[in-house]
Amino acid sequence: MFKYTLKRVLTFIPMLIAISLLSFVISINAPGDPVERLSKAAGNEGSAEQQSGASKKIKQELRKKLGLDLPIFYLAISDIATSDTLYKIQDKYHKANLEHLTHMSGNWQVVSDYYNELLKIQEIHRTLKSKDIFESTIDISLNEINEITNQVGFDIGSLLETSDQELVDLKFNTISNYLENYSFLSPINTSFQKVKQLNLEILNSSMKWKTYIPSINWYGANNQYHLWLFGNGNDRQGLIRGDFGISYIDSQPISTKIWQKIGISFSLSLISIFLAYLISIPIGIYSAYKKDSAADKGLSLILFILYSMPSFFVGTLLLLQFANPDNLSWFPVSGIQDPTIFDPEWGFWTKIKHRMPYLILPIITYTYGSFAFLSRIMRVGMIDIVSQDYIRTARAKGLGEGKVILKHALRNSLLPVITVFAAIFPMAIGGSIIIEVIFSIPGMGVEIYNSILNYDYPMIITVFTLSGFLTMIGYLVADLLYAVVDPRISYK
Amino acid sequence: MTQEQNNENFSFKKYAWNQFKKNKIALVCLYLLFTLVIVALFAPYIANERPLYAQYKGYTLYPAFASDNKTDSIFNPNGKLEDVLQYDITDWRSLELDKVIWPLIPYSPGGMDRYNRDYVSPNGKQRFKNSQGLITDVPNKFRHHLGTDGIGRDLASGLIHGTRISLMVGLVSMGIASLIGIFLGALAGFFGDNKLKMTRIRYYFTLIGIFFGFFYAFGQRKYAISEGFSNGIDSGILELTISFVLIFAVVYLFRFLSKFITLKSLNKEMYIPIDTFVSRGIELLNSIPRLLLIITITAVVERSIWIVMIIIGITGWTGIARFTRAEFLRIRSLEFVQAAQSLGFSNLRTIFRHALPNALAPVFVSIAFGIASAILIESGLSFLGIGVPDDIVTWGSLLNLGRQNLEAWWLIIYPGIAIFLTITIYNMIAEASRDALDPRLKS
Repeated sequence: MFKYTLKRVLTFIPMLIAISLLSFVISINAPGDPVERLSKAAGNEGSAEQQSGASKKIKQELRKKLGLDLPIFYLAISDIATSDTLYKIQDKYHKANLEHLTHMSGNWQVVSDYYNELLKIQEIHRTLKSKDIFESTIDISLNEINEITNQVGFDIGSLLETSDQELVDLKFNTISNYLENYSFLSPINTSFQKVKQLNLEILNSSMKWKTYIPSINWYGANNQYHLWLFGNGNDRQGLIRGDFGISYIDSQPISTKIWQKIGISFSLSLISIFLAYLISIPIGIYSAYKKDSAADKGLSLILFILYSMPSFFVGTLLLLQFANPDNLSWFPVSGIQDPTIFDPEWGFWTKIKHRMPYLILPIITYTYGSFAFLSRIMRVGMIDIVSQDYIRTARAKGLGEGKVILKHALRNSLLPVITVFAAIFPMAIGGSIIIEVIFSIPGMGVEIYNSILNYDYPMIITVFTLSGFLTMIGYLVADLLYAVVDPRISYK
Repeated sequence: MTQEQNNENFSFKKYAWNQFKKNKIALVCLYLLFTLVIVALFAPYIANERPLYAQYKGYTLYPAFASDNKTDSIFNPNGKLEDVLQYDITDWRSLELDKVIWPLIPYSPGGMDRYNRDYVSPNGKQRFKNSQGLITDVPNKFRHHLGTDGIGRDLASGLIHGTRISLMVGLVSMGIASLIGIFLGALAGFFGDNKLKMTRIRYYFTLIGIFFGFFYAFGQRKYAISEGFSNGIDSGILELTISFVLIFAVVYLFRFLSKFITLKSLNKEMYIPIDTFVSRGIELLNSIPRLLLIITITAVVERSIWIVMIIIGITGWTGIARFTRAEFLRIRSLEFVQAAQSLGFSNLRTIFRHALPNALAPVFVSIAFGIASAILIESGLSFLGIGVPDDIVTWGSLLNLGRQNLEAWWLIIYPGIAIFLTITIYNMIAEASRDALDPRLKS
């Protein structure tokens, strides 16, 4: 038994790592810049002036806190042309652009010169004050100056982000035009000529071969994945200690959000799994006991058809029939309580009594989803057991049919019930998204649904990782329980 | 049965088909499936706002069969330009057509009938603008027999075109899943943990080859691939195919190179536990809640029905792989496989030419069940409005419209029944063919 447990636990760890890797890969591929999203959520948006000042500093701190200034993983596979310090570039789009440019030319030196020169132009451009220019020149209006400087600033910004040569040429042309026509732009002229020169060098680079030779860079434990999973010991606790990050929607810690919502989903799935077993076990037994009778055949067909009926259709039908003023308005349409009369101070039973009508339809739908499936499994399992030798022995020694079925056969056919352990936790955290959305139950399912609609990636990734972890733990517990109940398994 | 077995021409296929035919419900389902396929194939000719055939000012036109961007210039007998028909925006109903044959349902799935907006019920009052420009009661031909949604789209047309999507989802996703599942399952089952052996040097070179293959195919070519996909799905698939061919070429090259290295200690043979790898992979994928995995991935990629299909396929191969593996474990010790091997056929040939055709029967069952669950997942996703773009009309998205407006019962009942029927059909066929192909499994 010990050996079996050890073996199971040992195979369990690599799977956890694999799940964490999978969700990490998904999370770093999420579109958009986390810092932008978070600072937006925190309400740090301001005018252009503020953008360049205080909020930029806040963003930088945020970036550092999120670990975005670190390499992504312990090691990185790239080619020898790409610099191993590329991860230090802060802007996600600049980084992608530099990577692409290096890929095009194979010459990191030229690319970084090009990039730095562009940054220099941007810096000079920032120091150009429209007002000063307006005072020193006479022939143009302030509006025109503003428009031109804005346009040039925008062009440079997009040059930093694009590697599409057609677009680059277009931007070069417009900037050259402005340079020719407006003398107040002359401070950026030297750098601009240099940029054009470097761009040509990138295009005609002879070092392309460098991109064909792979290289592996080792960064050590100071990386984003490590930080995300294990934390850094002070401000980040890491996933394994329950620090899941901050929601993009309202800047709340995700763990608090989950704790607020998980209760309702957990109790719903617990109740409905219990109900599903309560219904499906007798049906399964009856069906197996009367195998091939007309009742069994009819039941099987009905179960089969029910099994093919999507639960979201059933849920919507229930709403249509029982929570609809046109038909029968027996139950409320959505939510789990009436906000006008619900009082959080109520006792446990009063709350339940109040919520009952709200929960009946969801519980029916929830139960429905697993009951047809479970009954079918139960029937097959029971048929298997009933044909075993020891059942024949039990009959041969004269036991009553009821005792044979309910005592000898049922016990063994209930073994698969243990599998429920594997399913119950992830169901609670993942919730049944569809059912909760149909009935607007404020549980985990609706939470996930909203986070998907609002692109709240930290939440999505956390739920995904947690339910993966919990399923694995569930499987592990179920396997060990199996081994306890049926010692033959651990000897295999 | 004994009679059949004694027959010299006994063929398993015939036997299985005879068994299948005995199940009358399944047979009906098979016919229904054919009907669905036909409806899907001819959807644009069954439900279309353009007529199939029209005579307009002496011209004979076939608008439903033309491409969307077609333009026709109509001249009167004197050679003077009278009208320019731009097929996709012309309102054919308002033209004075001399002769016309309309499709069965004269509406397109996305076409908005602005006289019948705001959830017009199937048997309620519907309005129609006739060719004189007068608003009248709807003639029977142009009635929305299954009602409309909030912006006046015809439900029947949406359902018929939705058939296409649901069939495509099943085909594409399970196509991908079967490719992966059968390949991995066959390797795992055929070789097991202690049958695939190669010299150490060859093994290492293969691993290095795989590394280089992926580096060149996906690291080096990632810009080419993404550019291909931004130019259109077909050029993207072409670039992807090039990448896959590249991987095989590089791996093959490295394996070839390994022949030239003859060091004694490196030439010892070793076993590759391929079964363990595949089984662990299956276990891993099974332990992730599938719907959540699909939702998570669709959240980070752009919204496209194709991507949804691909993701469903990539996450859905484990069942197929398990069945293939189990079947190969059984088959590999049978005489005909051993005969093939003792004749000196290569492993690949033995697997794919000899063993695989005999292992496909149970796999087929699992594919049919897989199609049902793929359709279920897709309609669930579009019911939630996740992953599938808003402008694509699917059964799930129609049902979702009904959920948001419970008065429009027709938007709940009809799409729901369509989903339910399709899933039942596939499940029924799968179950019946399991019973027919492998009576031992009959439950």
